[in-house]
Amino acid sequence: MLRAGVILALGGAAAPLSGCDPFDRDDGPAPEPDPLAPLLDEALRLAAAHAAAAAAHPALADRLTPIAEAHRAHAAELARVTGMPLPSASTPASAAAPATNPDATLAALRERERGGRDAATTACAAAPAERAALLASIAAARATHLEALK
Amino acid sequence: MTAPTPAGPAEALGAALTAEFAAIWAYGPIGVRLTGAARKAARDAEAAHRRRRDSLVVQLSTGGASVPPDRAGYTLPFPVTDRASALRLAVEVEERTAAFWRAAVAATTGADRDRALAALVDYAVRATRWRRTAGISPLTVPFPGRPA
Repeated sequence: MLRAGVILALGGAAAPLSGCDPFDRDDGPAPEPDPLAPLLDEALRLAAAHAAAAAAHPALADRLTPIAEAHRAHAAELARVTGMPLPSASTPASAAAPATNPDATLAALRERERGGRDAATTACAAAPAERAALLASIAAARATHLEALK
Repeated sequence: MTAPTPAGPAEALGAALTAEFAAIWAYGPIGVRLTGAARKAARDAEAAHRRRRDSLVVQLSTGGASVPPDRAGYTLPFPVTDRASALRLAVEVEERTAAFWRAAVAATTGADRDRALAALVDYAVRATRWRRTAGISPLTVPFPGRPA
């Protein structure tokens, strides 16, 4: 794992060296994580939660699948604007198993969407103009998910 | 309403005002084709657009910005002849107005941005409710207000 990372880092540094600042040493402090990193992680967790709930409750799949796809689309856009890599599509270990009762499953998803909407709202307020519209659409989408899960 | 273009705060809010004028106008032909709970929802939606119109007129005129005028009529994207077309237009009106507020989010900061985001969220949720009333699936779009 560590070895692969080191090799990748060396490989990446070797190619486009020409434009680099000669004083830009790579033993400096690690760059600050992008402020939108938590929002990207959350989008992936929300997508996984909806996908797991759709798998557990096939009767809800028509409602939940488009919502899961929307969260994946949000993650892809967040990865694009931040330049962060999008993890490959695998179910994160953090995805809790959905409740056996469909109503309880929907209630849990609503709770997560509410938290997600509030996080995107906060991020939008603090964002520079070029990111604000995307974050606004993500906040609005999560609010519509909350409505669609009623 | 044409597609919103990025601009300064006054321009973006002025564009949102023109969208609110058109939305209020459109709810006239929508409302007459609806009955019961749907008609009440149309009245509520129209009232929300009127509130934002009024706030924008006050804000733009007190700020010394030019206030775009309302028009006598607007061209509907398709004829409204029955309940189904009225509900489709209601979805369209909310999505299009949301797009102008989305543009205003990017053009503003602070309390103006908060209000623009609240408008985008409000109209996106109304569009979802109209889709449910109309039986349109899916109920949501991935990026509310984003130009297609």
